[in-house]
Amino acid sequence: MFHVLIISLPYLLKGAAITVWLSLATISLGTLLGFALGTVGAVGPRPVRAAVAVYVFVLRGVPILVVMFLGYYVFPALGYKVDAYVAVGAAMVVYVGAFVSEIVRGAILAVPSSQIAAARSLGMRRWPMLREVVLPQAFRLATPPLLNTALTTVKQTSYVSVVGAWELSYAAREVVERTLAAFEIFLGVMVLYFIICYPLSLAARHLERRYAFAS
Amino acid sequence: MGSFAELTHFAERYLPYLAGGFAVTLAIAALSVPLALGWSLPILLCRLARRRWLAGAAAAYIEVMRNTPLLIQMYLIYFGLPLFHVFLSGFMCGVLAITLQHGAFLAEVLRAGVESVSARQWDAARAIGMRSRTAFRLVVLPQALVKMLPPLGNQLIVLVKDTSLVSAIGVMEVTLSGKMIIERTGGSYEVFVAVALFYLTMTTALGAGLRVAERRLAVRFG
Repeated sequence: MFHVLIISLPYLLKGAAITVWLSLATISLGTLLGFALGTVGAVGPRPVRAAVAVYVFVLRGVPILVVMFLGYYVFPALGYKVDAYVAVGAAMVVYVGAFVSEIVRGAILAVPSSQIAAARSLGMRRWPMLREVVLPQAFRLATPPLLNTALTTVKQTSYVSVVGAWELSYAAREVVERTLAAFEIFLGVMVLYFIICYPLSLAARHLERRYAFAS
Repeated sequence: MGSFAELTHFAERYLPYLAGGFAVTLAIAALSVPLALGWSLPILLCRLARRRWLAGAAAAYIEVMRNTPLLIQMYLIYFGLPLFHVFLSGFMCGVLAITLQHGAFLAEVLRAGVESVSARQWDAARAIGMRSRTAFRLVVLPQALVKMLPPLGNQLIVLVKDTSLVSAIGVMEVTLSGKMIIERTGGSYEVFVAVALFYLTMTTALGAGLRVAERRLAVRFG
């Protein structure tokens, strides 16, 4: 019954490999960007905080697919010829960065002010205090929502196929166009995505529960 | 897009095409939001049910929805249903996919809200002689509503943004209209700036409306 799926599996797995790569690249770069923005968004000078707030507000209000299309069309309009992967990848990094930034900013601000008072009374300066006291505690608070963002990002890599970059979803559509076996192929691809996503989802839930107890 | 003249030229040229897309996006959102909210209730009831197999089935459904992309679910419905001789329009397939996915997410939000009300509130209500149904209606539900409204609002905003995916199955909503304008008229990325502004307006308005609702609810029950 599932023979088309079995025959196409090697091709789909190649797509899955690209999906995993794209996820790793956009999640790691987006998280780096988000950490930088979130930190200055919480403790930076006022105009910088305002700029980060605008960035987050705009990107969180727009679908990622629209941001991908913008990335896809904006580079050639500015005179750069870039690969489709680079264009949509950049769009994803910018998008993920906004979500991560908001999580990190919230986590930093959620560190109890008594911790800061204690660090000050020990005579710590601003940067060592941030590094030794505030950020480690904030990181713990931020981990479960960051894993959830990573999970969402993996699922969102499928949208790059709509803009025209080849990965698992694109491969699935190609196979369906040739074989018309829509049901089994898309069901099989759902299973592949599930295999990639489920560990992330379990880890997020596990940490959520553990930290809920600890606090 | 520098001067005012250029801007009006842009608006005259593209807005008529985009306006149709705006209307379709609004229609998808206006239909999906109540449907997804409605669908989340039976999922929630099953998830909280005492019968194990029912709770297990609901949990499994939620896991599948949580761990697979909406795009693939949409393809499965759009390209898969005709194989079973069920023919729905792209528009209906999109609304159905969004309802199935977001119903699961909304059920989880509602569950977190109900479970956030402390067990002591239940006990107290029962101790002063309320029936469990009355306790739920007068004690648990109001407190749960106040707590669940902010995450509920966030989830609805995600839903509205996800309507853009219906473009992938050929429904001429605003995202696909933008793409068509660029491909057919040689327009540039500015078209997508307009599309982005449209979504931003829609999500901001929804967010503001929900904040008003939160404040009212907090005043009444908080």
